[in-house]
Amino acid sequence: MLSMLPQVLIDGLTLGFMYAVVALGYTMVYGILEFINFAHGEIFMVGAFVGTEVLLITDSLGALEGMNPFVAFLITLIISMAITGLLGITIERVAYRPLRNAPRLVPLISAIGVSFLLQDLVRFTEAIARNAFILNGPQLFTGKFDLGFAQIPSKSIVIIVIAIAMMVGLSLFISKSKWGIAMRAVSQDQSTASLMTINVDKVIMLTFLIGSSLGGATGVLFAQNYGSIDPFIGFILGMKAFTAAVLGGIGNIKGAMFGGVVIGLVESLAGAYMGQLTNGAFGAEYKDVIAFSILILVLLFKPEGLFGEAVKEKV
Amino acid sequence: MAILEANGLTKRFGGLVANEDVTVKIEDGSITAVIGPNGAGKTTFFNMITGFYEPDEGDILFDGKSIKGLRPDKIAGRGITRTFQNIRLFKQMTALENVMVGVHSRLSAGILGILFNLKRVRQEEERSRVEAYQLLEYVGIADVANEAAGSLPYGIQRRLEIARALATNPKIILLDEPAAGMNPRETVEMTDFIRKLRNELGLTIILIEHDMKLVMGLSEYIHVLDYGRKIAEGTPDEIRNNQRVIEAYLGKSTSEAS
Amino acid sequence: MAKIPVKGFFKDRKIPLWFTIVWVIAFSIALKVLDQSVIAFMGVLFSIIFVYYTDSPKWMRLVLGGAILLLIIPLVAGENRYYMEVASQVGIYVAMALGLNIVVGFAGLLDLGYVAFFAAGAYAYGIFATSQANNFIEGNLFPLSGEWFWPFLLVGLLVAALFGILLGLPVLRVKGDYLAIVTLGFGEIIRIVFNNLDKPVNITNGPQGLTPIASPELFGFALNKPFYFYFIVLFCIALIVLANVRFEHSRLGRAWIAIREDELAAQSMGISLLHTKLAAFATGASFAGVVGVIFAAKQTFIDPTSFTLMESFSILVMVILGGMGSIPGVVLGAAFVTVLQVQLLKEFSNFLHSLQAAGVINLPSQLDPSKFQRLIFGLLLVLVALFRPNGLIPAKRNKNDIDAIKNSPYAREKLGILSRSASEK
Repeated sequence: MLSMLPQVLIDGLTLGFMYAVVALGYTMVYGILEFINFAHGEIFMVGAFVGTEVLLITDSLGALEGMNPFVAFLITLIISMAITGLLGITIERVAYRPLRNAPRLVPLISAIGVSFLLQDLVRFTEAIARNAFILNGPQLFTGKFDLGFAQIPSKSIVIIVIAIAMMVGLSLFISKSKWGIAMRAVSQDQSTASLMTINVDKVIMLTFLIGSSLGGATGVLFAQNYGSIDPFIGFILGMKAFTAAVLGGIGNIKGAMFGGVVIGLVESLAGAYMGQLTNGAFGAEYKDVIAFSILILVLLFKPEGLFGEAVKEKV
Repeated sequence: MAILEANGLTKRFGGLVANEDVTVKIEDGSITAVIGPNGAGKTTFFNMITGFYEPDEGDILFDGKSIKGLRPDKIAGRGITRTFQNIRLFKQMTALENVMVGVHSRLSAGILGILFNLKRVRQEEERSRVEAYQLLEYVGIADVANEAAGSLPYGIQRRLEIARALATNPKIILLDEPAAGMNPRETVEMTDFIRKLRNELGLTIILIEHDMKLVMGLSEYIHVLDYGRKIAEGTPDEIRNNQRVIEAYLGKSTSEAS
Repeated sequence: MAKIPVKGFFKDRKIPLWFTIVWVIAFSIALKVLDQSVIAFMGVLFSIIFVYYTDSPKWMRLVLGGAILLLIIPLVAGENRYYMEVASQVGIYVAMALGLNIVVGFAGLLDLGYVAFFAAGAYAYGIFATSQANNFIEGNLFPLSGEWFWPFLLVGLLVAALFGILLGLPVLRVKGDYLAIVTLGFGEIIRIVFNNLDKPVNITNGPQGLTPIASPELFGFALNKPFYFYFIVLFCIALIVLANVRFEHSRLGRAWIAIREDELAAQSMGISLLHTKLAAFATGASFAGVVGVIFAAKQTFIDPTSFTLMESFSILVMVILGGMGSIPGVVLGAAFVTVLQVQLLKEFSNFLHSLQAAGVINLPSQLDPSKFQRLIFGLLLVLVALFRPNGLIPAKRNKNDIDAIKNSPYAREKLGILSRSASEK
């Protein structure tokens, strides 16, 4: 039973880092607008589809064959991030901004609507284009590193490295750049920030741009990791990423990273071992139950999250 | 006799100390003002008294019993109520219903009683409707009883908020900037009105206010906060001539500030 | 003869009585003559709305509405299994939406896992009205006979209310938007648990579901046709509407709306947030539980696929589209969405299929309109949020009769705090 462990841990880490990057999107928007962007999981999903389509089209043109997989991957990432970033801004502009002063429930309802809309729009597009909505994309990284006691798939390493790079980049941007500082100012006090001649609308737009493009990039990573994608992958994944954000302390980048990895590992371990530990009474099908239970427990007993106190600043 | 005693209240938010060691005694049936420059911690003080913040240190005694750590609804039930700086009415409800919400904690109707529309519940409803209407009359806005609260003019909303607070049958009422945004004539009316509340209903009144004319003319005792600490207390005349208060409002000279 | 005022047609209750009556008669005849006509059926359903807005006294409207629901529909369409089936389905969703209306509409708690309570009621009856319960209770006592359906309406109510309180106790302490996510999570947990509780002890029979669930019996007579369920559902809706109306203008209803509008202000009025929210949660849940029992008995088969997230969202869409907190709005929203789902999309889909069969168009199976659900829900939610946040029929508060207040026996003395002024003067 322990022979599986290294593989289980690798899977958990890979998944966890993906949760972490998606969690950033929730955490950034929540930090500024105190609003759960329900549609963020769907932006991740759109990213996965854009990435897969880019690879499929390149492949069908015969161009993928000779290309360095890293170059191909980078191009895919950039295209996908650009499109999802734009999508994020558009959604904010059309479906959220007009509702900024509406009662609390209304923007949330709009976000849920956008979420459904995106799911079906992607499904329709793929149905028309390919007559199927489950896509299997080309796998760029198929090698494995043999460590003797375990084999690590090279795609896991690529995914983890890219995820960390994105998070470090975002941290630097927020702490060092002019716009990053403006974002922190707006998240602490919108009206004061606007008095300081910070353009709040622009900052919010930027937040959506960055959060969405990171989410889209994670979609590309997801497609590489699992090979097969469908329009409904975003919903549950988004919820778990949100759990990660809450676990780490909403508004906190390091917290999101930590929360993501914890949820990923717990889920992976539960999926692998729960059946054995409970003598088959409760199996892997309960792994989602565990993730949601974590969310509920955290909200009850430590609603500020594990790192909420330590770092007062919101993103 | 002191009806309310706050002893050494301290409240911190992260590194920021919003209130530090604030001690205040309020006499039964008095009109007391809490003043201070912006950000002095006046509303934080109100929030601790009414249970919205729990003090990190110190104790609050109401009628000699500690109310520290009680939830806001419990404190309201004991007889301390408030209005808010930025009027917080239930906008979609009518004015009359807003006041009826204030009667809530003195009613007893439960789920089953309401479902079966028991006689007791119907009588209770009728009685609370009458009480709410009397309160609207008392504050002088009975003619808007059936209007949605959110659609009323500003001055009327202020009065409605006070009527709603009175409906909880309080002993102490805390008014957070009752005259904010009012013109001089309305301010005078509000001053008379607050005095009437005390004189006719025997209420103890604590208010936060920036309008010094109102504060000095209305209150019998004043506490001054600055940077979260209490820097002075006394009668309006004493406060008017207090050097530290003048400094706090006018700003200290640079040498003293460093 | 009065002409129909187009402006303010709905708003001011200005539909002339003759118009409503002509409408009802016309569509009733159509319903009788045509078989499986969506338009005729919609027409009759819509007449209820016209009745609501008719320019007549309240008793007249009640009589008219009652006559349509209790006499005209059963007489005209009672023979037609199809119409009765649709009507009971609409009714089930109307009842559920009215339950959710208490939670979302009155108390402003966005509950995205509402279907869990529906499932609780359905399984409560399903487990004991099939041989399923023999798996964990000795003595081969089950299935219970259909006579037990009636007491189980109450059992379903209590089980769901208990569920609501147990879930609510932790969940309702959570602030604001988090509640939506947490209830969504809970809804999923319940579904997963029902889907897997066939081991270690087989309680729910897992993904295979439960069948055959006993049909209700009354004095030994089996009520197993849609015709009977139509009346059961109608009766149930009548009770739920009555409950909604009584709550709306009660101490509890005002407290619900107060916390929806402003939690802080509500608290400073002496309202306990947790108690008030729990009351809303448990009340909403108990209605869903009752409806769940009816649903299980009507379908005679239940499995976890009837209780997915999409069901929770469907009910939410009904409430939001109709108007949060508005009883007539929610009824309209539920009827519209259900008819849309079970009827209009299917009709449209059949139409496209006929075109495809004739070779006019080529339709990928994924573009089948019967699968448009998410697209339509998504559009409806966004459009309502942007352009009509209060729904089709916005909720409005009753105006109180001021003269009645002034003439009340209680008005003879000063009440509450004002009694102090009387005694001191």
